Amino acid sequence: MFKTMFKPLFQNKKFIIGLIIFLIFLALGIIGPLVYKVDPTEMTWDFEQPPSKIHPLGTDTYGRDILAQLLQGIRSSLYVGFLASVISLAIGTIIGTFSAVKRGIIDDLLMSFTNIILTTPSVLIAILIASYLNVRSLEVIALILGLFQWPWFARAIRAQLMSVLSREYVYLSRMAGYSDFRLIIEDLIPTIATYSFMSFVLFINGGIMGEAGLSLIGLGPTQGISLGIMLQWAVLMEAMRRGLWWWFVPPGVAIVAVTSALLIISTAMDEVFNPRLREE
Amino acid sequence: MSRLIVKNLSKTFLLGFFSKRKVEAVKNISFEVKENEIVSLVGESGSGKSTTAKMILRLIAPTSGEIIFEGKDIWKDLNTKNEIISFRKNLHAVFQDPFASYNPFYPVERTLWQVLKLLDKNISKKEGLNLIKESLFKVGLDPKDILGKYPHQISGGQKQRIMIARCWLLKPSFIIADEPTSMIDASSRGGIIKLLTKLRDEQGTSIMFITHDLGLAYYVSDRIFVMKNGEIVEQGTPDEVVLNPQHKYTKQLIESIPKLYEKMEDI
Amino acid sequence: MSNSLMKIEKVKAYYMLKDRYVKAVDNISFEINENEVIGVVGESGCGKSTLSNVLMMNIIKPLALIDGKILFKTNGSYKEISSLSREEVRKDFWGKKMALIPQAAMNALMPTIKIEKYVEHLADAHNIPKDKFLKKAKERFEKVDLDPKWLKRFPFELSGGMKQRAVIAIATLLDPDLLIADEPTSALDVVNQKMFLKILMEMKKQGIVKSIIFVTHDIATIRQIADRMLVMYAGKIMEISPIDKIVEKPLNPYTQGLLNSVLTPEPEIKKRGITTIPGAPPNLIDPPKGCRFHPRCPHAMDICKEKEPELKEVEPGRKVACFLYSEERS
Repeated sequence: MFKTMFKPLFQNKKFIIGLIIFLIFLALGIIGPLVYKVDPTEMTWDFEQPPSKIHPLGTDTYGRDILAQLLQGIRSSLYVGFLASVISLAIGTIIGTFSAVKRGIIDDLLMSFTNIILTTPSVLIAILIASYLNVRSLEVIALILGLFQWPWFARAIRAQLMSVLSREYVYLSRMAGYSDFRLIIEDLIPTIATYSFMSFVLFINGGIMGEAGLSLIGLGPTQGISLGIMLQWAVLMEAMRRGLWWWFVPPGVAIVAVTSALLIISTAMDEVFNPRLREE
Repeated sequence: MSRLIVKNLSKTFLLGFFSKRKVEAVKNISFEVKENEIVSLVGESGSGKSTTAKMILRLIAPTSGEIIFEGKDIWKDLNTKNEIISFRKNLHAVFQDPFASYNPFYPVERTLWQVLKLLDKNISKKEGLNLIKESLFKVGLDPKDILGKYPHQISGGQKQRIMIARCWLLKPSFIIADEPTSMIDASSRGGIIKLLTKLRDEQGTSIMFITHDLGLAYYVSDRIFVMKNGEIVEQGTPDEVVLNPQHKYTKQLIESIPKLYEKMEDI
Repeated sequence: MSNSLMKIEKVKAYYMLKDRYVKAVDNISFEINENEVIGVVGESGCGKSTLSNVLMMNIIKPLALIDGKILFKTNGSYKEISSLSREEVRKDFWGKKMALIPQAAMNALMPTIKIEKYVEHLADAHNIPKDKFLKKAKERFEKVDLDPKWLKRFPFELSGGMKQRAVIAIATLLDPDLLIADEPTSALDVVNQKMFLKILMEMKKQGIVKSIIFVTHDIATIRQIADRMLVMYAGKIMEISPIDKIVEKPLNPYTQGLLNSVLTPEPEIKKRGITTIPGAPPNLIDPPKGCRFHPRCPHAMDICKEKEPELKEVEPGRKVACFLYSEERS
């Protein structure tokens, strides 16, 4: 079943390009720090050096190695993205499924709650929470971001399940004596799986962007280095005005590349899974 | 003897939580279906005929009333898993939309395996495949064209035939056919109807057609129930209902249907 | 000859896809007489909707007119509209000479635009003073049994039957000679269907429209209103004859099959039974050689697999494309 679902994806050029770019960065984030064993926080006297043999991507004001920071930053940003995505997906799936299956009052209450979250300016709330906390780990940042990007996913899951539940093949499975559990495993999950997978990708994207946004205004993680933190330091030290391009270009490029790769992947998935677009 | 007895059946839908709205889809209807009998429940969309069908199929619960199938109230007397399974074996359905009747993620024969597993949990792959092939032949399909195909690869007529093959495998005593021909081309409609009536002729199955098409009802049924706004407004043999309608609504309906051999006077 | 409103001569219209074409209308010739209703029937995908667009010269890519002539009578002489561009036909013919109610037109009305606005657009397009035109629209609405107050409403406020009546009233505001209606009744319940048919025929009686092409899959409806029936199969005309004769004795085996699958509540139908045409309509990208119906035809002969039958007059007024009625069969 999953073979037939995902096989067409690998025949789509866009998807493959997006996936390759993403996998390169994933590898950089995971393997990079293990191979390039330079401490990103170690200060040296070679401050604000352009790329050289010793520091392939140069150094910052405190003489810290940019490449080491970049690799560490990619790792942290992806970590925050994944974590935020998992949190959003979990909340969205639970709320969406409960709404669709239970209907009635539970549906009304859950959807009202979802709409409230959907309409609150989530960036503001995130800023408020973040500024309230003095110590912010990567996990806390992921949690803050994850708590605010699920509503549209919950609504979509609810809508999809509602439409599937009144589809005739679900009736026919039920008439073949299927238990609720078996119905969920065999008929409902495959239907929402493709959509959830697509949303997962978009949520990672949202997590990475959100982290960068919070970091840039100084409310990012207080521990560790992320791509957003790197950019914030570069901004603080006016790297842009002073022409220290090796400082702000690498994290900028990394963020743009990772997020566009994720967007390309999700558009490609939309094309493949959306029957109307596939008909062509 | 009556295979199905419906007594004072009603269904009211409550919509909304903050502003409650009542929709009475089915209002206190009663009827019986005998063994070996084909009946039709005729009505326009919104008449409550599909809701009635779903209640009889034990898919949505009635608000009040009884549905007694082969001596047991299907909403009150079926308590154990075995009782429910035996009910499922005996009452089955063919739905309107051949596309929505198949989960697009699975090959079409999944629907046939489902009923085989319902009949015998431990059926062997080989035995099952033989039965499936046999049932496909029975509905005029070549297993070669069907097995391993996905729903979008076969035509609507073929899909609907597989649904009838499902009934042939299960051999239920009662089939609800919910608009089985309305979404397939006219030229293959006759075949589907014949396959269904053959089930009655060979197995003694009772069949209830749910349809908006009085032509179909007139052609296949032993008795017709006409539904309007959740109520049965007229019932009788096809000739009684079609040739000599009593209720105002039935009269208007029959007068409005274009005929082939008779020209309307007032057009 | 001179009383035909429109002549269609050997028209071919294909959908041009990347590397192949869909032969939706393939070498079709017929005439539409003044003051007649032609019912066009066929299964889904036989090209009947394409035909209605071709008649209007509403040809938008990927559809292309490959060959043939379409002549339309205006002021006593025939104008070859197939040599004009879609823009030119639209300006000079649409609305005034010919009008189309496309399939599902009533659901294509924008829910946020008042019905009145459509009338005003039409007035603008034809440089007619708006108030005069609106007055005419009000009169027409009364004719189709709609309160003129509905002009000031939004489409979503009207029921299906009312919407369809509003559509026909607006489509015929400029008194076109020819009205083409593509499945206008299939989304309506039978009571509204009949009301629509009544209005349609009333318009013809009053001379608001002269001729009507009624495209549908429902033979019983055509039987009620049409003078002639045109049977299409896989982009070809199989048979065209007066409706009474076709119902009494269909000639082409495909027409026979279609008629025998009609299911109306009539004792005659019950007596006769219904039959099925085996198989499915062919793919129009690569239709079968010879007669396109031969793979499904119970009377197929050797010649049917080799040669394409021509549409020939076999009785006065009856034309059939079938070798059963031709001397050519060997």
